[in-house]
Amino acid sequence: MSETSRARTGAGGTSPTDEVEADDASLIGRSLREPEAFAAIFHRHAPDIKRYVVRRLGADAGEDVVADTFLVAFRGRKGYDPSRPSARPWLYGIATNLIRRHKRVEVRQLRVLERTGVDPVTAPFTERSDERLSADAVRRRLAAALARLPAGHRDALLLVTWGGLTYPEAAQAMDVPVGTIRSRVNRARGKVREELGGIDPTSVSEETFHG
Amino acid sequence: MDEMTQVNRLRCEVPRPDPAELRAEESRLLAEIAAFSAASTPTARAAQTAPAVRGALRSGVLARNLRLSLRTSLAVGAGAALVVGLGFVGADSYLQRERTVQMAPVAVSAVLQRAADTVSLRDELRPRPGQFLVYELQVMFPVKLKEGGKDVRYLDRSRFKVWLPVEGSSLDGGVMTSEHLEPRPFPGEPLPAGAERREGGVGAPSKLTGYDIRPDHQRTDYVSLSRLPTDPEGMREHLYRGLGGDPLADYKAWGSVGSMITRAYMPSAQRAALFRAAGTIPGVETVDGAEDAAGRKGVAVAMVNRLGGVRHEYIFDPATYMYLGERVVAVDESRAGAPESTLLSSTAQLKVEVADRAPEVAAPTPTPGQ
Repeated sequence: MSETSRARTGAGGTSPTDEVEADDASLIGRSLREPEAFAAIFHRHAPDIKRYVVRRLGADAGEDVVADTFLVAFRGRKGYDPSRPSARPWLYGIATNLIRRHKRVEVRQLRVLERTGVDPVTAPFTERSDERLSADAVRRRLAAALARLPAGHRDALLLVTWGGLTYPEAAQAMDVPVGTIRSRVNRARGKVREELGGIDPTSVSEETFHG
Repeated sequence: MDEMTQVNRLRCEVPRPDPAELRAEESRLLAEIAAFSAASTPTARAAQTAPAVRGALRSGVLARNLRLSLRTSLAVGAGAALVVGLGFVGADSYLQRERTVQMAPVAVSAVLQRAADTVSLRDELRPRPGQFLVYELQVMFPVKLKEGGKDVRYLDRSRFKVWLPVEGSSLDGGVMTSEHLEPRPFPGEPLPAGAERREGGVGAPSKLTGYDIRPDHQRTDYVSLSRLPTDPEGMREHLYRGLGGDPLADYKAWGSVGSMITRAYMPSAQRAALFRAAGTIPGVETVDGAEDAAGRKGVAVAMVNRLGGVRHEYIFDPATYMYLGERVVAVDESRAGAPESTLLSSTAQLKVEVADRAPEVAAPTPTPGQ
């Protein structure tokens, strides 16, 4: 197995098939003796991690953060808790901590969205200006709310929404008790609800007419 | 539609990337794995994995990432994250195997020798376990932004004060405050509008967070550094410990020197031994007319990283040979992504002192609002 995965990764990383049976914990354990095995962790999780990071920071900073996430993970693999079969929370935790160092970039882009209705993060991925217009007011207010959240609350909210982690997984990722995640998410939800309170998200808002 | 669904919809148009779109990230990981394998296992495995590194290097992906890594190693962290172990992730992975420049060792030892000689003449700090060493640093590094769809850059400048425990990990009790200074234009480019919109003032004290994945022997707290050998041979052995057969050994050793003098303080005997040992690392050269992030002029000792196209310098006061700071300068435009002589990052260590305690950090409990 290691021979084939090595050959494949060397060729540039097509979709893994023979890496599926082993869980993350055993792959990481194996990578202590056989570092190449760690490439499987990348193939398995990099697409989701990248999407999460790009949604938060945009494509440009995203590339660096994702690369650093896996370098930090590889370097720190010895400390991985083997009783946790999935490496998802661990990797999201590393990525989220690295995102913190780009907090200013994240907040700046949210503020641009808030002020202009144009999202620097999604601009490279979307052509559909008509759809954008209809949801403009909601997006701008969401951006405003996210930009104003304390970083820890934003992390918690986005880990469970964009990252798709459960509360216990998010707690593992952030290395805090589950209750902390729960209360951060609740507070963040409250803020978002407050911010959206003035508009009916299903209709075109007044803001689009003079925004 | 509830607010969670609304949040989930935001930016949902960002696609899950194909493996092909992750090639840059994958290359960096494979290069790291290959470098690790080459350093730690028999040559058979090294031969097998080396092409991954070479391929990655040819693709030109790494030079840019190297800059980032150097930057992260210097930035005590926008956003209060000190990723201690990350400093040389990347940086140490892509270094030259062949060193074509062997500068005159006489000049090298002159600077480092004098630095070593003058060490004992200065007032020495004698911090005790339980106390903190307090470092004042000024840092400058380029930040890239997107403005109107195109890449723009400026030089971000900050001043940091960092309290590190005299004994133990900086993640265990380390505290910092930071102050953003007025940004500077990237040489030859206008100052982007985005550079001006920065939060100013001195931030509230925050705990150092991040990862420290260095092996125990690379700890740089005062107590650990105090236990190092006081003779140059022993210190040299320490710098190269665990690097046997590592093609990147010299640059890693050079990097260790930096981590032992920037945001770190050691007794004069070890410090003198360190400077003498550093002078024996192959590839070290002398650079005149260096300037640290606070504008102090000095003389630098440096090592060129050919693959990254940068030169990593340690700067000393030309009269007292006191350590001033470090900086990274582009030497190869194609690899560094910036014209020759462009300053890529710079740190000045302004002051080191001892304190009985670090400032209180507000408990990070979730509270409504800020």
